[in-house]
Amino acid sequence: MAGLQDIRRRIRSVKNTQQVTKAMKMISAVKLRKSQESLLALRPYAAKMLDVVRNVVTRSEELGASIDSPIAQAFLAPREEKNIRLVVIASDKGLCGGFNANVLKQATAFADATASTIVHLDAVGKRAADWARKRGMACAADHTGVSLAGLPALAQAIAEEAARQYEAGEIDALYVIHNYFASALAQVPTTLRVFPMDIGAHAGESVPPLLEPSPVRVLDALLPRFIETTFLHALLESSASEHGARMAAMDKASTNAEDMIARLTLNMNKLRQASITNQIIEIVSGANA
Amino acid sequence: MSDTILLEVLTPERRVFSARVSEVQFPTADLGYYGVLPGHTPLVTALGSGLVYYTENDQKHWLTVFGGFAEVGPEHVTILARISETVDMIDADRAEAARVRALKMIKDADTEDELDVAQAKLNASLVRLQAAGRPVGH
Repeated sequence: MAGLQDIRRRIRSVKNTQQVTKAMKMISAVKLRKSQESLLALRPYAAKMLDVVRNVVTRSEELGASIDSPIAQAFLAPREEKNIRLVVIASDKGLCGGFNANVLKQATAFADATASTIVHLDAVGKRAADWARKRGMACAADHTGVSLAGLPALAQAIAEEAARQYEAGEIDALYVIHNYFASALAQVPTTLRVFPMDIGAHAGESVPPLLEPSPVRVLDALLPRFIETTFLHALLESSASEHGARMAAMDKASTNAEDMIARLTLNMNKLRQASITNQIIEIVSGANA
Repeated sequence: MSDTILLEVLTPERRVFSARVSEVQFPTADLGYYGVLPGHTPLVTALGSGLVYYTENDQKHWLTVFGGFAEVGPEHVTILARISETVDMIDADRAEAARVRALKMIKDADTEDELDVAQAKLNASLVRLQAAGRPVGH
């Protein structure tokens, strides 16, 4: 059995670890709030954007095949999916429970099951880049160490490139695999087809809108923005999920450390009492003799 | 039919403006300014850079907008902007500094792309200065 000294040392070491996990939990809580704020701020914009796109696409469908624009056709009459671009969004750092494992499991299942060729793979986050390397998949670009403030620029860059690739016929679809932020405690790995997207029919206003200066011009300007917004949404969902997952993981670690300290303290007290009892017995039996 | 329209200006970062107004004018990508009064026919158009003017309680106000879309209905105008600022969000000194920087960039630009970027920056700073009530004479 370990001596008193050893147990004291272990308690001290567990306490140190607990301090670190507690601090990390608090940092994650702050970051979670920031990510969540961005996410909530984007929602009315994204909802309105979807509404406008629905409206415009429904209107354009009435005009039919006269729309001569590849990116508009992606929404009106999608091509068969042969070559796809895939974006996997994970995190740079670990210590966040099943956050990365879950999303990468989903990515593995998707890559194994898909009938199309993944011609362009983007990894957002170091963990996603590592995953791609381990699987031997060529990664066109790693986006690591991107801060919350850098996400809109990243979304814009990828969306514009993807729209260009669709026009050039290099890709037929853009998929994103990311964690959906259901709540601070629950993250759901989700596969999202950014485009072509089935956006559903427009309900509401019966008067079709005028498209100025021309339907093609409006669609050409609107759809890349829509892809960008959808993509930014996915990035922010992932960012909020990451901090939520890390906060939960660190909270659990702190609780575990608490339990461990309690157990060790109990052991230590038992040991101390045993040694005291021993000493008393020795004294008593010595006096009796 | 109401004699006001609900003007909403949204960016990915925030809801910049939301109130009932009696008139809106916004800059389009290539048609110049578009004026909207209550009861306008539904319309979707791409926006350029410039000032959005609106009349609220017979007072003319404005805010900046850089790219995006306007969706117009009989009783609403929704502006989905890339970037948009109300007047009190603008730092005129920073805009002036940006203007000077942009002018220098235009002078030093070697490639066509650099020139485009510098030109866009100059335009943005001019719009902001105009919004802040410090227009620069040409």
